[in-house]
Amino acid sequence: MVPGCLALLPEYASLEDPVEELRAACLAAVAWLGEDVRVVASAQGTRVAASLLAEVGTAPVTSGEAAYLIVANGSACRSEKAPGHLDPRAAGYDEVLGASLTAPDPDALAGLDLQTAEELWADVAPVVEASELLRGATTVAVDYDDDPYGVRYWVARWDGAASRSLSPAP
Amino acid sequence: MLRLGGHEFGDDEALMMAIVNRTPDSFFDKGATWAEDAAFERVRLVASQGAEIVDIGGIKAAPGAEIDVAEEKARVVDFVARVREEFPALVISVDTWRAEVGDAVCAAGADVINDAWGGADPELVDVAAEHGAAIVCTHTGGVTPRTRPYRIEYDDVVRDAIDSTLGYAQRALDAGVAKDSIVIDPAHDFGKNTFHSLEITRRLGEMVATGWPVLVSLSNKDFVGETLDVPVGERLLGTLAATSVCALAGARIYRVHQVPETRQTVDMVWTIAGRRRPARAIRGIQ
Repeated sequence: MVPGCLALLPEYASLEDPVEELRAACLAAVAWLGEDVRVVASAQGTRVAASLLAEVGTAPVTSGEAAYLIVANGSACRSEKAPGHLDPRAAGYDEVLGASLTAPDPDALAGLDLQTAEELWADVAPVVEASELLRGATTVAVDYDDDPYGVRYWVARWDGAASRSLSPAP
Repeated sequence: MLRLGGHEFGDDEALMMAIVNRTPDSFFDKGATWAEDAAFERVRLVASQGAEIVDIGGIKAAPGAEIDVAEEKARVVDFVARVREEFPALVISVDTWRAEVGDAVCAAGADVINDAWGGADPELVDVAAEHGAAIVCTHTGGVTPRTRPYRIEYDDVVRDAIDSTLGYAQRALDAGVAKDSIVIDPAHDFGKNTFHSLEITRRLGEMVATGWPVLVSLSNKDFVGETLDVPVGERLLGTLAATSVCALAGARIYRVHQVPETRQTVDMVWTIAGRRRPARAIRGIQ
């Protein structure tokens, strides 16, 4: 899983990379997935995923056996300078989300409150969608866990049960 | 690529050329760096401010006391050698129209001959070629060095500037100066009244479109002063406004008194024009 941070896209590059550490963590995790990768993400998150995959020399696939790349992040209301300003619920929401991801706890992830997520500007729908993939999975690494700009990011890797896959969207 | 003596720059780079006067009477600093140590301090300052080029001059542009070759050389040659020794990464340009002076400063380590007087000495191009130096080809309307414009008119000042500087560039090429070491300069206020300099500024894109790298020397000049009715010393804002227009058009080298102010102006415009990335942008895309 990587966050849908638009600063990762080449069209938003600066002379000095403001997300250098995050980018390095994302690229390492994405490279670890191998060549066949399916993406679970919003429209913007899909662009971020495609860009990261391109950076490591691959492209998303839509069928067949594959690893999964989830694009999601926690709240964007973690400080007064955060995009969504400070919401006192943000820290607690992200704490539960982070613990559920790290465990991983697929039932908790499937049951995430999407209404609160929307109010906290958290992009978690892809996590809910992909939660079943994490049943029986083990956490390999949490490569990044920080909120440098008021948005909570995680870069995490899981090793899932063999041949588990998501059903096509209805 | 732009090659200035022993230094190379990409085509997307905008360069600051800081003025260093070894003169007692130049219009802006009025002799502040006349003493060699003061001039050297000026070099240190502008180098620390990030200027890629210093432009060392031993004779003020305006009319005044005759400065012969020996005196001009005494003012600049040893100074160039000293700058070369302490600042190997700095491009050294010398503002001279005389081939003999050009020869001596190149031997002392200069990278660029900035001929502000439009090729008045025909042997200057040979000197640049011999030393592998770059040359700045300026437009002066054919006036004699160190004379003021008086009732000069052009059918089309921009056309004249392009034809003249490209003719000069061709002479430099024919003499053996490398193609990537030739720069053209419309030379604001040289052989031009204020209206000419304003038109050159407005239509600078036509000079850029020739494909030759364009140098602009706008800093605190009279066309800024007359346009805004402000004396020397109060022309920075006007200079920066003119700089913005030239930067948007794509001028590559900016000959300036105030390096940080010009750098910020050019960086801002260069980025607006899509030729440079923002320094560090995260707002709204985190």
